[in-house]
Amino acid sequence: MQRTSHINFPLRNRLAGLALLGLLSGWARAAELRVPATVEAGKSFSIAAEGSGQATFYLVGPDHVVKRSVALGSDLVIQSSDVRAAGRYRAILCSSSCTSAGFQVEAAKPAHLSFFLHPSRVPVSTPQSIDATAFVFDQYFNLVLTPAVVDFRITPASGAGFSRQSSARRGVAWMRLDSTPHEGRVQVTAVSDNTEEARVIQQVAAEACGLRMKAIPSGNAVTLETDPVRDCSGNALPDGTVVSFTKVDREGKSTVDTPIKKGIARVEFSLHGPAQIGVACGVVLGNEVALNGKL
Amino acid sequence: MTSIAHFALELKKFSPRGLKVASFAVAICTLAAAQSLPQVHLDASGLAPRPIEELTGTTIARHYALAWRDMAGALESGRSEVLSEEFTGVAKDRLVRRISEQNQAGVHVRIVDHGHQLKAVFYSTDGSAMQLVDQAQLEIQIFDGNKLIDTQNASLEYMVLMTPGADRWYVRDLEEVSAKTF
Repeated sequence: MQRTSHINFPLRNRLAGLALLGLLSGWARAAELRVPATVEAGKSFSIAAEGSGQATFYLVGPDHVVKRSVALGSDLVIQSSDVRAAGRYRAILCSSSCTSAGFQVEAAKPAHLSFFLHPSRVPVSTPQSIDATAFVFDQYFNLVLTPAVVDFRITPASGAGFSRQSSARRGVAWMRLDSTPHEGRVQVTAVSDNTEEARVIQQVAAEACGLRMKAIPSGNAVTLETDPVRDCSGNALPDGTVVSFTKVDREGKSTVDTPIKKGIARVEFSLHGPAQIGVACGVVLGNEVALNGKL
Repeated sequence: MTSIAHFALELKKFSPRGLKVASFAVAICTLAAAQSLPQVHLDASGLAPRPIEELTGTTIARHYALAWRDMAGALESGRSEVLSEEFTGVAKDRLVRRISEQNQAGVHVRIVDHGHQLKAVFYSTDGSAMQLVDQAQLEIQIFDGNKLIDTQNASLEYMVLMTPGADRWYVRDLEEVSAKTF
C-alpha cells in the first residue's frame, strides 16, 4: 500500500493541480447571482450578476416571465412591474452554464378589503347573529399575510354606533356580532390601514311578542283581529308575515293562515256551536278566545 | 382521457370539551398514467369558524388535485384554456398571464408532483370561502426550448383560497409562501 502510494504521488499531485486550475478558471467565468431573500411586491430592486461576458437572464414568477440578454458584471435591475404578484420567483442566469436563485415577494401594505357580511337580513337583538369576514389584500391583490388590524365599525339606523377590532390571521379577519335592538338598515364598515369597505344589512323584527287578538261577533260569524303585531323590542313585524288562526267547534278543527296587513292580521270564521279559537305567529302562541255559539 | 379516481375518506370525530373536531384524510389517486391526479391529503381538524361537511372535504380535495393537474399541464404545454375548469379570479388571471409570457419567451415549466398535504385553516360561516395551507412536494423544471435551465426539488408551501361554484370548488388564489410566514 505504502509503496503504491509513493509511486503514484507525483501523478496524483498533477491531477489535483489540474482539477484546481479547472475549478478556478471555471469559477472565474461562471455567472453568479446574488438575490435578496425577500422583496416587497411592486418595489424595484437589483440583482448582482457577477462574471464577465454576455448571458441570458430569466425571471420566472407567479404571473410574469422575463427573458433578456444581459452583460455580466453589472447589476440587473428588476422593475417594479416585474414583481407585483406575491410568491416565489426564480432568477436564472445562463452563459456557458446556468445558475439560479430564488427569492420571495411578499405583499405590500393593505390596500383592498374583500368584505363579506352575512346574512343580509337578521332579526333584531340576536346574539352572535352577524358574521363579518374581511380578506386583506395589497394594491396588487396579494393576500397580506403579515398581521393587520381590521376595525369593524357598526352604524345602526338609530342609536349609537360602535366598533370591534379583529386581527387578521393569514390575511383573514372575522368576527361575530350581535344585532342591535332596532329594525332598519345597519351599515358595517371594515377598515384596515387607509382602506375601507362598507356593507349594509337589514335588521328585521324578531319573533312576535305578546301576541293578542280580539273577537268581533257578526251574526253566525266572528271576525278575529290581532293587535298590532310587534316583537319584544317594539318593532312591528313586516306585512306579509303569516299569522295562523285555529278554530275548534262542532264541525271540527280548521286553520286559516293570513298575512299581516298594515301591522295587523284579520280573519273571519263562521261558527257552529261553542268554539275555541287560538292564534299563533311562527313559534309564538297568542291568547285564546272561547265563544259559546250564541253570538 | 379516461381516468378512474378512487376517493378514500377517513373521518375522525372526537369531542373534547363538547367541541367536535373533524379530521379528514382524503387520498386521491388515479389509474391513468399520462395525466394522473396528484395525491391530496386534506386535514380539516380544528377548522373554524365553521366545521367542514364530509362531502365538501371530498370535493375540495378532488378539485384541488384537478387544479394542480390542469396547472401542470398548462404550464408545460403553454395552453391556458384548461385552467377555466378549476381556477377563477386572481389565480386564473395570473396563470393565464404567466403562460402567455412563457410562450413569448419560449419557456415552459414541467412540474413533477409528488403530493400535497393540505390543511384547511379557515372556513367562513356562510360557506363562501375556505383558506388552506398546502405543503407540496414538487420537482419543478424550467426549460428554454428543450434546454433545461433550472430544476428545484423541494417541499414548497402554498396559501390557497377556494370558493364554491355551482358544481365545484374553484381555486381563487394560490400563492407560494415561505415556510417562515407562519
